[in-house]
Amino acid sequence: MQILVAEDDNDTAEFVARGLGELGHSVLRAANGPDALHLATTETPDVVVLDRMLPALDGLSVLRRIRAAKIETPVLLLTALGQISDRVEGLEAGADDYLVKPFAFSELAARINALGRRRPLSDVVTEIEIGPLRIDLLKREVRRDGHIVALQPREYRLLEELMRNRDRVVTRTMLLERVWDFHFDPQTNIVETHMSRLRAKLNEGDAPDLIETVRGVGYRMRGDG
Amino acid sequence: MGSWMRSAAYRIAFISSAWFAFAIAVIGLIIFWAMHIAFTRQLDATMADEAATLVAEYRLDGESELADAIAQREKLTSHDRLFYAVFAADGRRLYGSFNTTRPALGLHDIRFIDPAEGPDWGRGLAIDLGRGRRLLVAADREHIERIDRTVISVFAAGFGLVVLFGIAGALLLGGYLRRRLGAISDAAEAIVGGRLDRRMPVSARSDEFDRLARSLNLMLDRIEGLVENVRQVSSDVAHDLRTPLARVRNQLERGLNLDCDPASRRGIIGEGIRSIDEVLGLFAAILRIAEVESGKIRYIFARVDLSALATELAESYAPAIADGGRTFDWSVEPGLVIQGDRELLAQAIVNLIENAQRHTPPGTKIRLALAAGSSAIRLSLSDTGPGVPAADHHRIQQRFIRLEHSRSTPGHGLGLNLVAAVVRLHHARLAFGDNRPGFIVEIEFPLGAE
Repeated sequence: MQILVAEDDNDTAEFVARGLGELGHSVLRAANGPDALHLATTETPDVVVLDRMLPALDGLSVLRRIRAAKIETPVLLLTALGQISDRVEGLEAGADDYLVKPFAFSELAARINALGRRRPLSDVVTEIEIGPLRIDLLKREVRRDGHIVALQPREYRLLEELMRNRDRVVTRTMLLERVWDFHFDPQTNIVETHMSRLRAKLNEGDAPDLIETVRGVGYRMRGDG
Repeated sequence: MGSWMRSAAYRIAFISSAWFAFAIAVIGLIIFWAMHIAFTRQLDATMADEAATLVAEYRLDGESELADAIAQREKLTSHDRLFYAVFAADGRRLYGSFNTTRPALGLHDIRFIDPAEGPDWGRGLAIDLGRGRRLLVAADREHIERIDRTVISVFAAGFGLVVLFGIAGALLLGGYLRRRLGAISDAAEAIVGGRLDRRMPVSARSDEFDRLARSLNLMLDRIEGLVENVRQVSSDVAHDLRTPLARVRNQLERGLNLDCDPASRRGIIGEGIRSIDEVLGLFAAILRIAEVESGKIRYIFARVDLSALATELAESYAPAIADGGRTFDWSVEPGLVIQGDRELLAQAIVNLIENAQRHTPPGTKIRLALAAGSSAIRLSLSDTGPGVPAADHHRIQQRFIRLEHSRSTPGHGLGLNLVAAVVRLHHARLAFGDNRPGFIVEIEFPLGAE
């Protein structure tokens, strides 16, 4: 993918660009607001990583102008710690995702991946099938090898997130945000607890595990089943 | 004395005294003029009566009687006696001893020759007697002038006293104001000089100065509290950072020295990352609390279904708590809604649940309850663990406070501090109690705050 990284701190930008390059992405860099706006509107990147605090034109204004120009490129907004109201503002301005600095690179990479391959079609999908697993998004029904697996609401939501993002790593933080709507880090591993119960229910009777744990990062649903 | 000129206290006191003296002078002048006019009128009336009597006598008994009456009256020697003269048409004075020339008719001031004092001014009433004769009844102005002089001198003396009292009063008042204000500015200077514990003096009178001093003292208490807090936090942060940073350093050093296999090196790096995450978590918690305490979040308050939130959190935590060997149950009254920030309320409740898990032994019963009372919505989290001594109830909500027995458990001592900040932000009340046995935390959201 082609990724625009708009970040004025040279060290952060360098670190992010090198990391994304190693993952096989091509990276465009902008160190101020006007450059970011120019590149976002002329180069059609697949994903824009936009720092909120940019010189000359701040990140939110860049974002509003990108959206005003009817460019729907997914935008991930980066912001400093401790600004709850900022997140609300950012999402209202048209950001697709939001990450608080300092962040782990694996977290950023997972989110960029999720944004970049987001298909507009995914919203009208009513069924997802991966290997022996099949979920009905309307009835909220899960079947493995044709047998219904009874799940608690949060276990179902976890599975749905993983299946929508097949072959992509979904981080623990992403799951906390999407399933629980938590934007803070609880000490208790509620994701792990629910994940282990989900696995136990899905893999009853020694069936092979379809969910892969990516250590220190998150989980991945293997697309080959 | 230059400081006098620049002193607002003295300026105000003197201006008020001067204004008072000016008012006294104006009132004095008005009284003087009123008296002067009243005495003149009285004199004029006396002369008119006298003239009328004489005219009547002249009409009744003729000229010789008039002359007799005048001669008789002129024998009187009282100091307020009147003077008389009758003039012929050619200007001659026919009788009467009042030495002046033939006056015009009517009431006016006239000039005459006083036998003792020479030329003088008097006041006279001239009446036509017919055949060119003219009767003049006059009075020496000396009488009124004497009264005027007495009034003026008494008044001048009085005014002098007023000015003296005014100056004395201004000095006293100015000095008083300067002393009261001076006490406040002395205290302020002492505080500027670093004595943050100094306070403005407050007297028992409860006047404006005392009220001012009291509000300043409240402000100073708050500032001192904040300064103390910042000082405390900085040293605590420094202290809490040292441990994980030292650990990272040792881990890195170990990784450097070890010319070992990639697997154990990866392990060392993983440990280092965990330690650094701990530091970042600490910072995140501190910044979160600072953000909550700034109160800015209140601008994005919205309706929060507290019942739904509590149920959701309870359902999410039940498995984890069960895995930890404790039991968890909850009773939530449905449909309770408040104005607030869902995220912060969630974090506060999560912190309470996590505290209950962290500080109790396995087998403890933990219970979350939400119910509406008559005046408040009450959320409580109770456990049957060892509890917290009542003496520590106030301390545990402060920053970085960790009771002795919990030193060894994980956490940075900010959990309840955040809860307290979130509760304050929502204008709610936080209370700790004895669950007999165990610990209970209650948050009361006042009804009507929605």
